Parts: sequence; structure tokens; C-alpha cells
Amino acid sequence: MSKLVPQEKYEKTKAFHFWRWLSGTKDPYLDHVEMKEQKEWKEEEQTIQDRMNERQMIHDAVYDMGRNKKQRLFHGIYVAVAIIFCFLLLVILLYTVSNLPPTGSPEKAVNNEVPERYIEKGLQETGAVNIVTGMILDYRAFDTFGESNVLFIATVTVLILLHYTKKDAAAKKEEANDRAFEPKNDTILQVCATILVPIIILFGIYVILNGHISPGGGFSGGAIIGAGLILHVSAFGFVKTEKFFTEKTYKIICFVALTFYCLAKSYSFFTGANHLESHIPLGTPGAILSSGLILPLNICVGLVVACTMYTFYAMFRKGDF
Amino acid sequence: MEILEWVRFMIGAIFILIGLCIFIIEVFGIFRFDYVLNRMHMAAMGDTLGIGCSLLGLMIFCGLNFETFKIIMIVMFFWIASPVCSHMLSKLEVTTNENLTEHCERRDDLAELERELEEEAKC
Repeated sequence: MSKLVPQEKYEKTKAFHFWRWLSGTKDPYLDHVEMKEQKEWKEEEQTIQDRMNERQMIHDAVYDMGRNKKQRLFHGIYVAVAIIFCFLLLVILLYTVSNLPPTGSPEKAVNNEVPERYIEKGLQETGAVNIVTGMILDYRAFDTFGESNVLFIATVTVLILLHYTKKDAAAKKEEANDRAFEPKNDTILQVCATILVPIIILFGIYVILNGHISPGGGFSGGAIIGAGLILHVSAFGFVKTEKFFTEKTYKIICFVALTFYCLAKSYSFFTGANHLESHIPLGTPGAILSSGLILPLNICVGLVVACTMYTFYAMFRKGDF
Repeated sequence: MEILEWVRFMIGAIFILIGLCIFIIEVFGIFRFDYVLNRMHMAAMGDTLGIGCSLLGLMIFCGLNFETFKIIMIVMFFWIASPVCSHMLSKLEVTTNENLTEHCERRDDLAELERELEEEAKC
């Protein structure tokens, strides 16, 4: 157990002497000889300039194409090998492409039983009129889940790197100075945004909700909604946007959407793999409320994408929501 | 009726050709001019008049149906969004470029605007 030692007793110990020697105040081996503290090494402007000039001179002399024969030879071989390599690559690629089967030929390697099943039984099994959505959100839903998680991880990385937490006076001043030239509160932009933002967000919702009927889906619709949010921010500023979208909102939306996606699709895959009935109604193809899990999954993906786009913009512009 | 169809085709084709000409002028102007405000003027012309003319030609081809309505919506979107975009870009250029008088004349009320912006930045 350690206990406190008085100052005089401590000054006699080896540790104190060693520490004094280390910090350079006194040398314990030469009795009572004061040592000078070392100064920080500084280089003069002239020496730096001289060193740079010298380096440039050496560089010029080494790479002097007129006199250095070795360098010239190397340069010539380098260019020739580069050209030969490019042509070789071109020939190999062209040869490979010319040996590929033509588009649409039945012997093509991709025309196996997988796309056949997608095309013939896709509508019946997934209930989605848009077969692409049926593929990415039903047959290959875990792939899409991974993509959503990649977006989430990218946002987390950006948050780690760019999130701005210190709010002292100097930082605030720097922040204000950084955006001194940005046109704020522009009336024309605000009027335009009042008209356009609701339309853009409505269109995004339309694209998401019709993902299984017409072209579109979670990714494109989410991108449109994110663009609407970014327009809103650039017109009205972060003070207005903070009223409905903060860091907390982002966390809740992403967590709920990704967890729901994971649980719902795990359930569907579990029942499908064990030949159990999943009790998820497929509905009539073509209706909005149809095709089982595809619509909720589309909404989840759309929410994650919209939040990701907005968060990226907010992080890169301000470093905060 | 055959003649009416032909007239409709002719009018639509003329509008699309006008739009294409304006796009060509736009591309030429963007590469021809040096200063950003001049180039932006050309780009904005293509986004409003060029898009308007060529989509008007398409509308005449389409006739009165839902597709025409969608094209009208696209034109409206462009006509609302593109001028505002050009306005914001030019405002940023005017507020950030220190050598603005080298390229164009400067009106007096711009100094007032700049002062307002500085005051905004302070608070």
C-alpha cells in the first residue's frame, strides 16, 4: 500500500533525482552543477531557401534529358512499353468481347433457369407487377438489406469524421466567417422553395409507394425526398429544418426502418425455407396495397436513403443538424 | 383530315427544330464565353426557351392526353427551378468575386446589398 511521503523525504529518493536529471534542472552525478535548458531548434529562412534550390538543382541535373543518356533511354523504353501494353490490352479485350454470344441469344450463360423463373413465376410468387422490384425486394431482399446497411454505415462514418461538437466562441466565429459569402434568406429562393418542396416530397412519396407497380422504388424515391429536404434547408436555413429533423430523428428513423426490414425479411425467409405458411397476403397484383412485404420494405429503404442524403448534406455543410 | 394531320406534324417539327437550334446556340455560347455570368446566361436560355420550345413540339405531337399534362408539369418545374438556380449562382458570384468590376459594370445598390449580407453574417 502506498502512502503519502513528506516533501523533504521525497527529495532524498532516487526517483526524485532521476526525475530532476530527466527534466534537465540538475545533474545528480555532478554535484550542484546547473544545466542549461535546451532551446527549440529553429531554421532560418535563408537555409530553407538554399536547401530547396539545391534540391531543385539536383533534380534538374538528374532529369536533364539532353545530357543524361541513361535517363533518355529509360524514358524511350517507358513510353514504348506503355504504348505496347495499351495496345495489347485493347487487343485482348476486343478479342474477348468478339467471342461473347450476341445479345438475346438463347445460348447466353445468363439465360438459365433463374431469370426464367423470375419472368414466369415472379408475378405469381411476389405479387409485384414491376418484376425488378419483385427481384430486389423479394428474391434478393438480403442484398437490398445489405445496401441499406452500407448507406447507414457510410452515414455513421461521415458523422464520426465531420460531426462538430465543440461550440465555444472561437469556433462559432470561425463558422460564421466561413459562410459570410453565402446568400442567406433569399426571398426569391424562399418563394420558389415554398412552391417546389411540397411537390418534390409528394412526388418522392408517390415513387416509393408505387415501387411495386411502376418503375421506381425505395432508392429513387428516397433520393427525391432527400433532394426536397436539401432544397428546404438551403432556402430556409437549419433553424427551420431543426423543428422536424434533428440527429435524434435520424437515429430513430434509421433504427426503426432497418430493424423492421431485418425482422420482417428474416421471418419471411424463415417460413419460406421451412415450407411454412407466412400468412402475409399477396393481394391483387396492380393495387397499391398488394405484393406482401414489398411495400413496407420499400418505405423502409426510402426512409433510410432520404435520411442519408440529408445527413450527408448537413454534415458537409455545417457539421451539425 | 389528312391535311390537318400534316399541318400538326409541320408545326410540331418546327417547334422542335427551333428548340434544337437554341440548344446548339447554348452549347456554343457556353464554350465561347469566358466569364461565368455570360456563360450562365447562355445556360439559362437553353433551360427555359430551349426546353419550352422542344417540349411544346412534343406536346403538339402527343395531342390532348395525360402525357401532355406530364410534359406541362416538367416544363413548369424547369421554368420555376432554373431561373432561381441561375439567380442564386449569380448572387454568389457577385458577393464572392472581388474583381467584379473587371468583367462588368457594377450598380450602386449592390454595395448596399453587400453591406446587408455582411450584417447578416455578423449576427
